Amino acid sequence: MAEPIETCDVAVIGGGPAGLAAALGARRAGAGTVVLIERDRTLGGILNQCVHDGFGLFLYKETISGPEYAERLIEDVARESIKVETGAMVLDLAADRLLRVNARQGYRLIRAGAVVLAMGCRERTREMIEIPGTRPAGIFTAGSAQNLVNLQNLRIGHEAVILGSGDIGLIMARRLAFEGVAVKGVFEILPWASGLERNIRQCLMDFSIPLELRSTVVEIRGRDRVESVVVAKVDGALAPLAGTERVIPCDTLLLSVGLIPENELSKRAGIELSPLTGGAVVDETLMTSVEGIFSCGNVLHIHDIADWASFEGFAAGERAARFAAGERSAAKTVRVSAGPNVRYALPQLVTAGKAGVEWSFRVTRPMRNVRIEIKGRASDRIYARKKFARLLPSELQKIKVREAVEEDIEVGCRE
Amino acid sequence: MSESAAFDRLTCVLCPVGCELEVVKDAAGEIQVQGNQCDKGLPFAVEEVLRPRRNLATSVPVRGTAAKMVSVRLNRTVPREMIFPILKEIAELRPAAPVRRGQVLIADVLGTCADVIATRSVS
Amino acid sequence: MAGTKSSIYDVVVIGGGVVGCAVLRELSRYDLKLLLLEKEADLAEGISKGNSGVIHAGFNVPAGSLKARTNVAGLALIYPLADELGVPHRKTGKLVVALADEDRPRLEELKTEGDRSGVPGLEIVGESEIRRLEPLARGRWALHSPHSGIISPYELTIALAECAWQNGAEVRLEAPVEAVACAEGLFRLATPRGVFSARRVVNSAGLFSDEVARLAGIEDYRIFPYRGEYLITDKDCGLRLGMPVYPVPSRDDPGLGIHITPTLEGNIILGPSAEPVEDKRDAASTRQVMARLKAEAARLMPELGRTSFIHSYTGLRPKLIDPRGKDRFGDFIVEESAVRPGWTNLAGIESPGLTAAPAIAGMVAAMIGAGLDLRKRPDFVPERPRRVRFAAAGDAERAARVSRDADWGEMICRCEHVTRAEVTAALRNPFGVRTMDAVKRRTRCGMGRCQGGFCTPRIVEVLQDEGVPVERITKRGGGSRLFYGRLKG
Repeated sequence: MAEPIETCDVAVIGGGPAGLAAALGARRAGAGTVVLIERDRTLGGILNQCVHDGFGLFLYKETISGPEYAERLIEDVARESIKVETGAMVLDLAADRLLRVNARQGYRLIRAGAVVLAMGCRERTREMIEIPGTRPAGIFTAGSAQNLVNLQNLRIGHEAVILGSGDIGLIMARRLAFEGVAVKGVFEILPWASGLERNIRQCLMDFSIPLELRSTVVEIRGRDRVESVVVAKVDGALAPLAGTERVIPCDTLLLSVGLIPENELSKRAGIELSPLTGGAVVDETLMTSVEGIFSCGNVLHIHDIADWASFEGFAAGERAARFAAGERSAAKTVRVSAGPNVRYALPQLVTAGKAGVEWSFRVTRPMRNVRIEIKGRASDRIYARKKFARLLPSELQKIKVREAVEEDIEVGCRE
Repeated sequence: MSESAAFDRLTCVLCPVGCELEVVKDAAGEIQVQGNQCDKGLPFAVEEVLRPRRNLATSVPVRGTAAKMVSVRLNRTVPREMIFPILKEIAELRPAAPVRRGQVLIADVLGTCADVIATRSVS
Repeated sequence: MAGTKSSIYDVVVIGGGVVGCAVLRELSRYDLKLLLLEKEADLAEGISKGNSGVIHAGFNVPAGSLKARTNVAGLALIYPLADELGVPHRKTGKLVVALADEDRPRLEELKTEGDRSGVPGLEIVGESEIRRLEPLARGRWALHSPHSGIISPYELTIALAECAWQNGAEVRLEAPVEAVACAEGLFRLATPRGVFSARRVVNSAGLFSDEVARLAGIEDYRIFPYRGEYLITDKDCGLRLGMPVYPVPSRDDPGLGIHITPTLEGNIILGPSAEPVEDKRDAASTRQVMARLKAEAARLMPELGRTSFIHSYTGLRPKLIDPRGKDRFGDFIVEESAVRPGWTNLAGIESPGLTAAPAIAGMVAAMIGAGLDLRKRPDFVPERPRRVRFAAAGDAERAARVSRDADWGEMICRCEHVTRAEVTAALRNPFGVRTMDAVKRRTRCGMGRCQGGFCTPRIVEVLQDEGVPVERITKRGGGSRLFYGRLKG
């Protein structure tokens, strides 16, 4: 195989809110050739199917729908000389930044000076949470259903049950109610709802759709098409409680049970992943364990606000451009770990002596009147402290450290 | 808040503080709000409880394309009870290509002062 | 089509599982007018897709039984057959493992039985050899069967049918036999797709072979469904299993014990369980069995205790053993009916039916040949081209394919890297099957970790482009529709 390998300065994999921003960030930081590779027919990623508003509050200072948010970024991209490839899927990524890309226009190999991973995430499936029962038609993950309804104008059922109270499930409850689908209920296994309270009001309460906490679907019934689901309450260990089972007739089950960063390419490149985030371990420049490969957006950690995925994208793109231009860091890094009540803190590494770094984190459970502390693991010194009246696991939060960090630190949450 | 409920709790979304407001309808039928740390929370809570306003979003087929859809929303909120009547109006829409983002598809829908606008461009 | 309805087939095969299709393909060597009738919307919808895909060597069944004889004969035939038909398979070998010394005698019994049946190459090995053969296996002793292997059972079924078709055989899907009339030496089989007359009938209807036999007035069989549940790991689970590893079977177990079997793709299958069920259509998986599968598998292979599973499925085995009775063993039945000459029944074809299929097909052909004049087709084509998989191709081949046909450049399945060209090729199959599962079985779309989350909307688009209206898009035919029309317009 003697085909000449194309080169570029920065390759961005994924054209959603993070990838669009990364391409812009790279170009604006002076990268020569920036290639934005998107597997769908159009840029925009998941935003294309998020027809509801709530996007852009931070990036555009107004709330607009997903498609509008995407289109503004797409127009910005069109104004810069960014090489956009849609309908192109990266099948393989190697640690030496060689990409294998397949598209109708051709199958090619591209060697990039730097790579930004912005592949987003996929949805947790029925099989992964092991719901017993039959395998009829009529079971959809909420995002898949959103695509089929909003982009393909399809009636997916008449009576639906939704498992999971994350925002995607809540938004789809409302969307289905708009179309006259009877949404029998939203069932959430935890004692608290995962989605925004605003969505509970506007997607469930407005339509008298019941929300049942500490409940889950324990069986799916129906031979060819879903005929009913069995729901039950769960105990403290999230195991179904015998005797609480109820049969709910329905022809559709929507699953909104979690998002998983889509890091197959990252694995192929040998990038270290964090089991806490499902995404790459990165330093404050968003560079992964493989030099020259950066990560941002949902593929790095699941965001609830698209604007922040974009901010990460701008930063990662800029860093990728600088790397492609030859900038290297020889500095030592220190590790950042999640302390009490903190699910994860990102970045997981920081250049020793670097000041002004901001961390993103999530707590493990709803907490009130707490303070977040960034503490030295060895010295116990407090580098930063911030009070919060209320913290929810569903809301990504930030804390900034003004001083330089010279030792391993821990981000913890104390009442 | 339904007629029978005398009490509601909601989080104010007007600023990042996110005060948790408690809204009570007292014996005289008056709305009392507690938990707000500024004045803006009061009308927000009262409106949400008495005259909730909502936006809505959906998509409609574009004429002159191979089954493409254009997403739409309102450019301002409307009284909550107008949701289904407005959806019914929108369901009849078949805008012709090309559609521009922001294009008004129905002006002042059902007298609410809200326009139905396209939220993406479709060629 | 009217002409077809009144024409007489030499042989009609009832049942499009691996055995029925093997019979059809074997008979298509001869100058016979052939028809296969299958009640579901696709082939391999019964036990032929609900198994672990193992090529058995034949030591797990009593020597002298028909099961053993057809298994050993089939073992010699199935590897060359899979090569001819382009069906992915691998001779991996297999280990039956004893965790304790006191189980060694049971291994020796299996070896003795196998030796008596003529199973090649069986040997008892110790711990270090076990480790060498399969690093993930644990045990004190094991029976090593070097000729066992793995194969895709539904790809084999489909390839057999397509080979028969290319040699002139007909296949009708969604054609359950609902009534049988016997007159003037012919059988008239009534289905919703027409009435078909046949000189000979081969009843290969698996779970429903007793009911089909009863339609012809044959009351000799009763099939009892035994459900087996399976779990499949993610290919990325980090465990590379080279060969099936089975625990030593206990004598009273109606199944084979909970096995650990690799797939050709790199997943690991746990299962099956074996529980008698009341309803032949009760294919549900259960919480209790899934938990048991995981616990048993972790005993045999501790690493599996920490793995993620991407899918579960079940298979309903057609057994001749009454669960309330005392019999523990039921043999294959392959026999011409005494009361209905010309009608051959295949009953109780459970494991090792997959491996035995080519041998059973040979037996049935001989039985047919005893009555009908079998003349070989001079133009019989035994091969089927291997299905092209973009994911398995190298860079040069990929680039060449895409430049010749852009459909090879359009990705439909992100997990398994399946292209639009492969999906349309699958949909343009000779039997006109155009369901979601038909695409899945022929291309692997939907078999990856996202279980169709990404590809489903795309396959839906391709189906419409291929002329299937949205209301007719189903998972597997019948009432398994995905959509109820459009929302607007």
